[in-house]
Amino acid sequence: MRATDVITRISNVLIMDRRKFLKQSSLASSLFLVPSFVKAFEQVTSSNLGYKRLVIIQLSGGNDGLNTVIPFRNDLYYKERPTLAIPKNDIIKLNDDVGLHTNLTPLKRLYDNGHLSIINNVGYPNPVRSHFRSMDIWQTATDSDKYLQSGWLGRYLDNYSKHPYSAIEIDDSLSLAMKGDTINAIATQNPKAFYNLSKDPYFKNIHNHQNDIHLSEHNLGYLYKSMIAAESSAKYIYETSKTVSTSKEYPNNSFGKQLKTTAQFINSGMETKVFYGSLNGFDTHVNQLNTQKRLLKTYADSMETFVQDLKDNGTFKDTLILTFSEFGRRVKQNASVGTDHGTANNVFVIGENLKKQGLYNDMPSLSDLDDNGDLKFEVDFRAIYATVLNKWLEVNDEKILNKSFKQLDFI
Amino acid sequence: MKIKHIQHLYWRVGFGILPTKLEKLSKKSKKTVVNNLFNASKKVTPLKLDTFELDDLLSGSYEKNRTNIKKFQMISRQKTKELNVAWIDRLTNTKELLREKMTLFWANHFVCKDNNYVYSQQFHNTLRTHALGNFKDFVMAISKEAAMTKYLNNKQNRKRKPNENFARELMELFTLGVGNYTEEDIKESARAFTGYSHNLQGEFVFKQHQHDDGVKTFFGKSGNFNGDDIINMILENRQCAKFICEKIYRYFVNDVIDKNHVNAMTDVFYTDYDIEDVMRFMMLSDWFYDEKNIGTKIKSPIEFLVGIKYVVPVDFKKPKQLLHIQKVLGQILLNPPNVAGWKGGRNWIDSNTIVMRLKLPSLILNNAYISKTKKGASDVAMETKKQVFKKNFGKYFKTESNWNHFNNQFKNVNINDLENHILACNMNKAADVYLESLSKVSKQEHCVQLMSLPEYQMC
Repeated sequence: MRATDVITRISNVLIMDRRKFLKQSSLASSLFLVPSFVKAFEQVTSSNLGYKRLVIIQLSGGNDGLNTVIPFRNDLYYKERPTLAIPKNDIIKLNDDVGLHTNLTPLKRLYDNGHLSIINNVGYPNPVRSHFRSMDIWQTATDSDKYLQSGWLGRYLDNYSKHPYSAIEIDDSLSLAMKGDTINAIATQNPKAFYNLSKDPYFKNIHNHQNDIHLSEHNLGYLYKSMIAAESSAKYIYETSKTVSTSKEYPNNSFGKQLKTTAQFINSGMETKVFYGSLNGFDTHVNQLNTQKRLLKTYADSMETFVQDLKDNGTFKDTLILTFSEFGRRVKQNASVGTDHGTANNVFVIGENLKKQGLYNDMPSLSDLDDNGDLKFEVDFRAIYATVLNKWLEVNDEKILNKSFKQLDFI
Repeated sequence: MKIKHIQHLYWRVGFGILPTKLEKLSKKSKKTVVNNLFNASKKVTPLKLDTFELDDLLSGSYEKNRTNIKKFQMISRQKTKELNVAWIDRLTNTKELLREKMTLFWANHFVCKDNNYVYSQQFHNTLRTHALGNFKDFVMAISKEAAMTKYLNNKQNRKRKPNENFARELMELFTLGVGNYTEEDIKESARAFTGYSHNLQGEFVFKQHQHDDGVKTFFGKSGNFNGDDIINMILENRQCAKFICEKIYRYFVNDVIDKNHVNAMTDVFYTDYDIEDVMRFMMLSDWFYDEKNIGTKIKSPIEFLVGIKYVVPVDFKKPKQLLHIQKVLGQILLNPPNVAGWKGGRNWIDSNTIVMRLKLPSLILNNAYISKTKKGASDVAMETKKQVFKKNFGKYFKTESNWNHFNNQFKNVNINDLENHILACNMNKAADVYLESLSKVSKQEHCVQLMSLPEYQMC
C-alpha cells in the first residue's frame, strides 16, 4: 500500500467513526465519547503505517524436502527412490529441472505472482538427526553441540519489546523459540478462552490496591507481576482481535484454524511483531506418500487462503512468512516406502516484496552426500534468521544470534 | 519439632502435609521426624505396568521386532502415557515419600527419554533404585541403561568412529558442570565408552570388538581406561560433589546458592558420595529452616498438581486431560524438553502458565467457581452459579473431587487457621485485606480461594 492509500484508509475510518460518533452522540453525552474516538484514530495510525510482522510456520517431524521441491531431471532422485519418487507427470514444473509436489498448486500460484522464494539446502554444521534436538537447534539458533535455554524470538523480545504479546504462538503452550531470558511470548489458540480464564474479578481484587513496593524482586513479587501482565495481555489480545472477523473460508482443520486466528490478529491491527504456528505429522518413516500428500495439501490450501485474507485487508505487504522443518529426510528411501531422518531441507519465504523471487539458490547435490547418505547443507539457517532480523524486523541480528552471519539477499 | 518447620520439610521433600499427620509429628523431635522419613523410604517399590505384549515382541529376533515396529511404537506411546498417570498417582499416594521426591529430582538430572517403553520404564526404575544410594553406583548404572545409550548416542560410539555426545553430557550435565574439563578430555573419554550397547530386551551389552582398547589420556593420566574408570576419575574431583550439592541445594533449599551451606554439604558428600548422608545432613541442619528458605521457592508444575491432589483427591475421568494440564503448565513427566531438563524456578512462569495455575484449582475441584461473597452475606446463588460454570467449563475437565476426604482431614482445623495449612508463605497485604472482606462460606470454598492465590504457587 502506498502512503496515499494509507491516508485514504485512515480518512475512511475517520469518516466511518464520525458517522457512528454523530449517531451515538445524539443519544449520549458527546463529551463522554470524544476520547474513545480519538483513541480509535491513534490506533489506526500506529498500527497500519509500515508495521512489519513475521509469521513462522514449523513443519514438525521433518518434512521430506526432496519430495516437496523435486529435482525431476536428476536420475539419482528416481534411482534412490524407486517406489517413493513423484512421477514426472504429476510434478508441477517450476522450470526445466525443478518442480513442486502435486498438491502444491496453491504454492505455484504464489510463485507465479512473485510471492514465494524457495531457499534450498538449508541446514547447519554437524547435523543432529534427533527430532527434538534438531528442533531445539532451529529454535534456539545455537551451534549443534551447544545448549541454550532461550529461543531466538524470545531473545528478540528480551532486547526489543516491552510486552509479552509482541510475539504470539497459536498453541496451548509455548515453544522454546518464543521463550526469552527475561520475557516470554504468549501462547493462545483461543483469545476468548484465555481472557475468560484470566478475568475472574477475584484475581483483580487480590492485587487491586497493590503498589510497586509490594511487587518486590522476590519470587512472590515476580508471580504477581506475571499475573498482572498476563491479565492485561489477555484483555488486549481479546479486545483488539474481536473487532475484526474474516469472511474467508479456511480449510477445516487445525492448521487452517491457526492461520485464520493469525490473520484475525494481524488484520485487527494488533501490535504483535511475531506469530508462530505449526503443522505436525511429517515424520514419515512408513508409507510416506499418502501422509505427505495430505499434509502438503493442508499446508498449501491454508496458506493460500491466509495470503488472500491478508491481501484483502492490506496487511500482506507488511507480513513475511517463513516455513521450516527441523530437518529433511534421507535421499534414499527405506524399506517401508518411507524415509529416515536426514539433514538439510528447503525453507519457504512468502511475502509481497521479495528481492529474489522463485528459487533462491541451486538444488542440493544428490551425489555429494555425507557418510550417512544425507545432503550436505549450503545455507546456514541462522543466515536466514539474521537476514529477517536485520532487514525485516530492523534490529541488531548479532545481538540476538550471539554471532555474525552473512546476510542473504531474499528481502 | 516446630509445626512450621515440619510443614517446610514436607513441602520440600514431599508435596505438603495434612493436619492429621502434622498433629502426630509435632510431638516428635526433628531427629525423629527426619529419621522416620528415611526409614519409610528404605524400601524400593518399582513402578511397573503390564508389558506382556511388548515383552513378547522383544522376545524373538531383531527381525520379528523390525516387522512389528509400528505396533511396538504405538503400544509404547500408549504405555508411556499410562506410566505418566501412574507416576502422578504414585507421587500423591506413597509411603516412600522421600525416595519418590528424590526420583523426581534425579529424573531432571539424569535426563533421558526413549520411544521404547520397555527401556524407558527400566530407566525410570533405575532412578528410583539409586535415588538415595551411592552416587558412583548411580552414574555407572545410568551409563549402562539402554535408554541412555540410545538417547546420548553411546550406541553409535565405536572404535575409530567415536560419538562424543554421552561423554560430553556426562561431564557437562551429570557430574562436573561446564568449564571443568577440556575438549580433549571429552574426545579421550568418548573412546573409553566405545562398545556400550544393549540387547533387544534392554540389558547392557559390552561389544568388545567395537571398544577402543588403546591408551587414553584423561585428566592428565594415561591408561587403557574403560567407562567405569572414567567415572571413577571424574568422581575423584571434588568439583563433582560440589556440582551435585549445588543442584540439590537449588532444588530443596533455595534458588540462590549460599556458598557456606553448599560447602558444608560438599564435605559430607565428597567422603563417599552417599546420597542419603548428604540429604540427612541437609534436613538436620539449622539453616535448612532459616526464614529466607521457607515458602520462597516456586513450585514446579508437578509439585503444584500433586500438592492439590494430596489435599483434595481428584480423579480425572479422562487421563488425557491430566496430560494436557501438564502440557499447559509446562512440565510433562517422562517428556523433558531436552537433555538439560527443565530449568525450574521462575522459568516455570509465563503469562499462560500463571493464568492456568491460578485458575486450575477452581477448575478441577470446584466447577471453576471461586467464592467472592462479601462478609456477612450468604452465597445463595452459589449452587446455581456452579451449575452454569460446570456447563461452560465441564467440557474442558471431567473430574471428580473428593471433598469428604478433605473435610475429614481438616475436621479439627479452625477455618480461620486454614491458610496456615494450605499456604507455605504469608499472604501479601492486598490479598489478605481482600480475603478478610470476604465471607468464609465453608472450608471447601475457603480452600479454593487460598489455592487460587499466587501465594499458593510457593513452597
